[in-house]
Amino acid sequence: MMNSVSAKNIVFGYTATPVIRDVSFQVDKGEFISILGPNGSGKSTLLKTINGLYIPSSGRIELMGENIEKYKRRDIARKISLVPQDTSLQFDFTVEEVVTMGRHPFKGRFEKEDERDRKLIYEAMEMTNTFDIRERLITEISGGERQRVFIAKALAQNTEIILLDEPTSHLDINHQIDILNLLRRMNQEKGITIILVIHDINLATRYSDRILLLKKGGIIAQGTPEDVITTENILNAYGMRAAVERNRYTGHISVIPLEVNKRIRSELNIRVHVISGGGSGQDLVNVLYHRGYQLSMGVLNAGDTDWQYAKSLKVQIAEEKPFSGISDRAEKKNREMLAEADLVIMTNVPIGSGNLRNLKMASEFLENGKKVYYLRDKEYDEFDYTGGEATFILEQMVKNGLCSVDSMEQLLREIS
Amino acid sequence: MKDNIRIRSYGFTMLVLVVLLILMVGITATIGSASISTIDVYRVVASKIPVLGELVDSNSITPSQHSIIWSVRLPRLLLGVIVGAGLSISGASFQGLLKNPMADPYILGISSGAALGAAIAIILKLEAAFLGFSGISILAFVGALIAVTLVYNIGRIRSQVPVTTLLLAGVAVGQFLTAITSLLMVIYNRDMTKIIYWTLGSLAGKGWNPITTMSVPIIAAMVILLFFSRDINIMLTGEESAKSLGVNVERIKVYILLLGTFITSMAVSISGIIGFVGLIIPHIVRLIVGPDHRILLPASAVVGSIFMVFTDTIARTVISPMEIPVGIITAIFGGPFFIYLLRSKKKAL
Repeated sequence: MMNSVSAKNIVFGYTATPVIRDVSFQVDKGEFISILGPNGSGKSTLLKTINGLYIPSSGRIELMGENIEKYKRRDIARKISLVPQDTSLQFDFTVEEVVTMGRHPFKGRFEKEDERDRKLIYEAMEMTNTFDIRERLITEISGGERQRVFIAKALAQNTEIILLDEPTSHLDINHQIDILNLLRRMNQEKGITIILVIHDINLATRYSDRILLLKKGGIIAQGTPEDVITTENILNAYGMRAAVERNRYTGHISVIPLEVNKRIRSELNIRVHVISGGGSGQDLVNVLYHRGYQLSMGVLNAGDTDWQYAKSLKVQIAEEKPFSGISDRAEKKNREMLAEADLVIMTNVPIGSGNLRNLKMASEFLENGKKVYYLRDKEYDEFDYTGGEATFILEQMVKNGLCSVDSMEQLLREIS
Repeated sequence: MKDNIRIRSYGFTMLVLVVLLILMVGITATIGSASISTIDVYRVVASKIPVLGELVDSNSITPSQHSIIWSVRLPRLLLGVIVGAGLSISGASFQGLLKNPMADPYILGISSGAALGAAIAIILKLEAAFLGFSGISILAFVGALIAVTLVYNIGRIRSQVPVTTLLLAGVAVGQFLTAITSLLMVIYNRDMTKIIYWTLGSLAGKGWNPITTMSVPIIAAMVILLFFSRDINIMLTGEESAKSLGVNVERIKVYILLLGTFITSMAVSISGIIGFVGLIIPHIVRLIVGPDHRILLPASAVVGSIFMVFTDTIARTVISPMEIPVGIITAIFGGPFFIYLLRSKKKAL
């Protein structure tokens, strides 16, 4: 693949303190790249450095394999266009006049736009859905429309690379998706390389081929969304605990913020072992975690929704291989955890041959005179896939004093 | 609504405006204590043009009428044309460059620098003329240039000139120089009237000399300004956006500041500080032709000329034979009109 822009160990600062520290990356032609990072991490500065607006104090930006400092401003403008963060314009230009400005790098001082320019301008307006508002004044249209007009201007510039500085930050959620879908179409239909600074991690993972994650001016991770957006990297960059999972509707990596690291969770000296699976324990673990209970979980299959969630919270887990029944080894680990637990909470996750051992262990725990709570807040068609054995054990447990609760609130009252 | 009246054909707009200006000059030249008809004015002008002069019958015009038109009224009108055009085009380009609707040609300290220069010349009774310019004109010109140089260097941060710091430096230097002028007026209070008169601006009694020497450089500077009109348009979308479109923002900023300063300093050194023209004419023209500087700049120049000629005629006739400084008239007419515009088109300004 052809290399369109690359940064080689660039350092840049507005004053003596660098804002960009030793950043290197490479963008191939036709890629969709997002630059992520907390406020002040140097995202916008990096974007402008890519555009040659700032000259790095060391290292260099290469455009099509050539040092960008060797290009004239006008020649850069024929290769890279920029959609700035601030698209406010105080002067009453019409939409079409603003889009026409995109042709500036190709025109002489008094040269008029010709047929080809007109065609590019009209195509740009059509693609961005601004054709119908071309006579309106830029001062009188909405923020979402203005954003599309500025994207149309960049499209009219007809460059191989478009840089965008937070194009979605002031927009409603529907307009955010609208803009990103537009960018994806430009990327896929026209092969335009898109480099985007964005705040919303979930939008970035959904649309990008690759992500650059910045922290304090340096890249702490770059690669596919799956590689970059991990609990560790989010914690490192943003100082925030987050659950990372695949979104069940879009299938993309998505981040759920849990808590900012600095806030201290008051720890309780009560150890709770949770038996769950298939997502039935997610809410429960979340609530218990934030109330400060010491948690362990098991046995869970690796990759299970509850497993993923527990991992993101760094909860101890007795784990089994995916889609396998509970082995002796996993059971042993689970028993070690149970031995230290003060109480057990099990969800009403269906029991089959694979996880029957979990139920048995809970039953033994109860027989040892300790408390077991049974949280039945989920709806399942069937509980017993073991042909009666699970139901029998459960009835046994009820006789031994299993505490059954119907809601989270009730459970929390009971255990506190 | 504005779109409907926005005239698309720039050439046609300019033609209409220039015809209006010529009519305005012809009509205002007839107004005054001596009665002269409009057609005589054109006859006198035509008679001065080689070839054309042969064809015009100017026998019906008396020598005194001829000399009133040619030596008194016409140079004054043409001075008004040049000063009005210069101030308006500078104001329009400064407003665009600084992205500030309150900007005028004087915003970078030109007026206060010129006033201080003129005050010094008046106090020192500098009568020596140079190239036909009075000592007052020369010191005013020098004062204006020194003030802008000061403002530019204070506002500059390394190789860049951020708009905000430039504006603030302009205000600070302007206030400082004005204070010095005031101090001089207090100390040398017998010259106070003369200094105040000068600062109010006037086109009276300058003769042909300033026009013949000034018009070529001023018109040349105005034409060069037009070269940058598309760059100004693009710079309105933000400096970074403009750079990404290949505009050499910092260099063009310097060019425009230099040209605007040059034009304004020239105009001020001859006519004193005529206010409001450079501020409101660009606004009025923007309402009519839109914000595209390719038409805004030339149209402002011509409308500025028309306005200047009109107000100066009022200045010299309304309480004739006394002269009112034209700066007072521009403000009396300009002020309320500007307020009306502000009220009715709040958004556009």
